[in-house]
Amino acid sequence: MSFRDTLNSGKFVVTAEIGPPKGTDIKEMLHHMEILRGKIDAANITDNQSAVMRISSIAVCKLALENGLEPILQMTCRDRNRIGLQADLLGAYVLGIKNVLCMTGDHVSAGDHKQAKPVYDVESVQLLKIVDGLNNGKDMSGNELKGPTDYFQGAVVTPESIPIEPQLMKFEKKVKAGAKFFQTQAIYDIEKFKTFMAHARQFPVKIMAGIVVLKSAGMANFMNNFVPGIKVPQNLIDEIKAAGKEKALDTGLNIAARHIRQLKDEKICDGVHIMAIGMEDKVPTIMERAGLL
Amino acid sequence: MIATKKREFKDLMENIKDYKSFFLVGCSECASLCGTGGEPELAELKEALEKEGKTVTGTFRAKTGCQVLGTKVELKPFKEQLDKTDVVIVMSCGAGTQAAVEIFPEKPVYQSNDTMFLANMTRFQIFDERCSLCGECILDETGGICPVTACPKGLLNGPCGGTNEGKCEVSPDIQCCWVRIYERLNKINRLDDMKKTREAKDWSKSQKPRALIARTKEEKKK
Repeated sequence: MSFRDTLNSGKFVVTAEIGPPKGTDIKEMLHHMEILRGKIDAANITDNQSAVMRISSIAVCKLALENGLEPILQMTCRDRNRIGLQADLLGAYVLGIKNVLCMTGDHVSAGDHKQAKPVYDVESVQLLKIVDGLNNGKDMSGNELKGPTDYFQGAVVTPESIPIEPQLMKFEKKVKAGAKFFQTQAIYDIEKFKTFMAHARQFPVKIMAGIVVLKSAGMANFMNNFVPGIKVPQNLIDEIKAAGKEKALDTGLNIAARHIRQLKDEKICDGVHIMAIGMEDKVPTIMERAGLL
Repeated sequence: MIATKKREFKDLMENIKDYKSFFLVGCSECASLCGTGGEPELAELKEALEKEGKTVTGTFRAKTGCQVLGTKVELKPFKEQLDKTDVVIVMSCGAGTQAAVEIFPEKPVYQSNDTMFLANMTRFQIFDERCSLCGECILDETGGICPVTACPKGLLNGPCGGTNEGKCEVSPDIQCCWVRIYERLNKINRLDDMKKTREAKDWSKSQKPRALIARTKEEKKK
C-alpha cells in the first residue's frame, strides 16, 4: 500500500530519514535502505540538508524506489527558482516519486558553501501552492501541462516554536495551500505536543511527530542551546545522565521508543517521523521496542 | 541614504599604482554622512596619497554626486586641475563613480569605497538595511516592516522553523522580522494582515537595469 493510502487508512505510520552522502560512494546508504525496507512506510530523502551540498534528493529518491523503499522527496526553496522547482517536480514525478515535502530550507549560511547566492524565489507556502497547481494540470503561470502530477504533498511545522502564534498562522497557511500531511520538528514533551495537536486537529491533515534519538546528555544540551524549536526537558537529560556513558545511547533509544508507543497508544497523532541522523541502522531497534515490528 | 564603506587603502593603492596624479571627488550627501566622502575624508586621502609620493591636483565635494548634469556643471571651475590629473578618484557610492565615468569619458575613474545598501542611520554613522528597492512594496500589509529585506530568506508568509525566541537562525544578532511583524500587527490590531497568504513575488518588477522617468510632459517643456 502506498504511503498516502496507508496514512489515509488510519494506520499509525512510520517514516525515517535518509540523508544522501557527499560523494559518489553510496554503499552505506544502500545498506541503510536495505535495513529499512519493509519496515517503514516511507523514507524522507533530504535535500542538501543543513545547506551542505550532497547527492541530489531526486537521484536518491530514484535509488530508494529501485531498492524497495517509497520515497518522500524533500524539496527546499534555497537552491532553485520557480522554474527549477517546477521542472524538478515534473521530473521527479515521471521517475515514479509520488510524495513531496515542501520546505523553505536552512539558510546557505548554515552550510558548506557560504558564498552561494540563496535563492528563495518562492517559499514553503508558495511551493505547496505550486504542487497543488501541478496536480491540477497547471504550472505556476497558469499554463496548461501536458499531463498533470498526482503528488501527495506535505509540509513541516515546529510545535515548540517560541513564540508559537506566528508558527500556527503559517501552519494554517500551509493547510490552505494544500498540505495533506505534516512532519514536525523533534518533539520531546508529549504533554506540550498534545496542546499543539488539539489545535492541529481542527484541520483535515495528518500529523506525524518528529522523533530525534538522544545519543547523549551533551547532545540534548546542545540542541536546547543551538537548535531552534527543540526543547529537551530536564527529566529526560537526567534519565540519560543516570544511565551512564555506556548506556546513554541505549537509554536514548528507549526514550524514543517509549514516546512513539505513547503517541500511538493514546492516538495523539497519525504517525512518527524518525530522524536518526547517521544511525539509520538503529531505526528497526526503536520500532521493535515501540512494539511496531 | 546609500551606505558606503571605505576600502582598505592598500587595495586602493594596488588599483592605482600605475598612475601619478589624482583628482578627488567626494559627495555632500550620503558619503559625507557615512564618513567616506566628506571634507575630512577628502583631506585624509589627499594626505595619504601625497605620503605615497602621488600628486593630488585638486579635491572637490559634489553637492549630489549621483546627479550627472549638476556635478558636471559644478566641476567646470576645476578644469585646470582636471586637465592635469591622470585619474579621478570618486569617494562616494557606485552611482557617484558611474556619474564621474560619464563626465570624464577619457579618464580612468577609480573608487575609494564599496557601496553597501540603502540605509537607515539609527545613530551617528550606524546604519542598517530596511529596504531592498524591490519595486513592489508590501509594507502596508506587514505592519511597516519589510520582510523582503529584514528576513535573510525574504519570506512573505511568516517565520521559518529557524526562528528562535525572536532571533533569526542566521545570526542571534538578527531579530526575526516575522516575530517583529507579528508583535507590531498585534499591537496595532491588524493581525488579520498576517493571516493572508501572499503570492510569490513578481521579480520582473526589479529586473535590472531599471530606469524611471518621473517628470511629466509639462516639466519637459520648461
